[in-house]
Amino acid sequence: MRPALLNCGFAGLIMCLSLASWGQNITVPTSAVAGEPATLSIAGSGKATFYLIGPGISNKHEINLGEDIKLRGDVLRNAGDYRVIVCSDSCHSATFFVTAAKPASLSFLVHPSRVPVSLSDAVSGVAFPFDRFHNLVLSPVTINFQLSAGNASLLNRSANTQAGVAWFRTASGKSAGALQVTASVDDLSAKRVVQQVASDPCNLRITGQRNATGILVQTEPVHDCSGNPVPDGTIVSFTANAGGVKSTVDAPIKKGIARAQIDASGAAVISGASGVVMGNELRVGAR
Amino acid sequence: MKSMLIAASLLKFEKQRFGLLAVLFFLALTHFSAGADAGPKVQLDAKKAGPRAVESLTQNAIVRDYRTAWNNMAHALESNSVGPLDGPFTGEAKTWLWQSVMSQQKTGLSRRYVDQNHRVEAVFYAPEGDVIELHDTADFQLQILDSGKVVQEEHVTAHYVVLMTPSADRWLVRHLQSVQQF
Repeated sequence: MRPALLNCGFAGLIMCLSLASWGQNITVPTSAVAGEPATLSIAGSGKATFYLIGPGISNKHEINLGEDIKLRGDVLRNAGDYRVIVCSDSCHSATFFVTAAKPASLSFLVHPSRVPVSLSDAVSGVAFPFDRFHNLVLSPVTINFQLSAGNASLLNRSANTQAGVAWFRTASGKSAGALQVTASVDDLSAKRVVQQVASDPCNLRITGQRNATGILVQTEPVHDCSGNPVPDGTIVSFTANAGGVKSTVDAPIKKGIARAQIDASGAAVISGASGVVMGNELRVGAR
Repeated sequence: MKSMLIAASLLKFEKQRFGLLAVLFFLALTHFSAGADAGPKVQLDAKKAGPRAVESLTQNAIVRDYRTAWNNMAHALESNSVGPLDGPFTGEAKTWLWQSVMSQQKTGLSRRYVDQNHRVEAVFYAPEGDVIELHDTADFQLQILDSGKVVQEEHVTAHYVVLMTPSADRWLVRHLQSVQQF
């Protein structure tokens, strides 16, 4: 029988730790990688019961002491601590750790799904690298975050994972439309799309004229401060003040313009507003 | 005279009943306090979490749900039943715990976690609050049982990297991975 420490040459890659006990030496790998085979050796002679207890695994079988025990890669799929117990006359144990393999997928969370343009710290992303067995890769990995809208690149930033996570936060772009957000590690990438929408209206201007039933008022094409058309359906409120009587009509933007008919026969002062943005005042004379 | 005897015996019965109730109350009290001690103890330090600060109500919820998760996990791995895993676990954590229980059922093994103490540090809380990473340094007495007989018992100090995500009404353990050190 060879002493357990002499078995440390096997597999070339495995460094060994000998956990001496008064009856048996259990030699376990000091660095094992998920999905890769590993070898254990237990000094002694005769039969014993071998237990392997780890994340997702619970093995028990008879062994001959003094022979190497080869653990298949699929037994060591899950990263974490594995406990080896060997019982003959008495029981002895040792523990070894399996670490995650190289990244094989990225869990990438991006928020929000819709964002107004030109908003600071509006878009954020968090990336976790996982190996092919879904173990979190805790060794530092450089993740590249890229944000682009159309052909324009808005962000290209690399971040090292700390404790298995990397993240970014940035402003939204200036143009409405799809914002492509990508996280990549080597040849791995995960893509998400954030819809950038126009921000609040800017320079809201209204015009109006009398017609047979009152005053027809309408906005000029409504844009945000970056020039993006404000989406149809956005409400514009027209308020008319005629002879001390105030009335308000809400109208949705259709094809970029909001229109409303106001019943007023006398002179009226009309204003328009959308959200917190006020437009110009319009004075219309009496019929 | 007869009525006095009846009154005396009634008084004696009341005394006995009170004594019995007092004993039952004492037993119930000790039972429940022992039960409270037996559950996992969880302390959370969220001072270093970022980029988002962890509000105190969120901290309370995380402590509550992480404690429940360990309680249920210990129950599942001791009783070899997957039922307790429904609720506090999801994703990869639930998968490997489910595999552990199934594997233990085949081999007749089980694990018992006794006197759990968890010192948990929140190390990352996502900007939008949709995931939190915890580092748990846990102390417990671990018993490995083969067909109900303890084959190994030892005091363990273990380190866990934990990812929790919020659901409608609680935080779920999505990832639970032990590591040699942080």
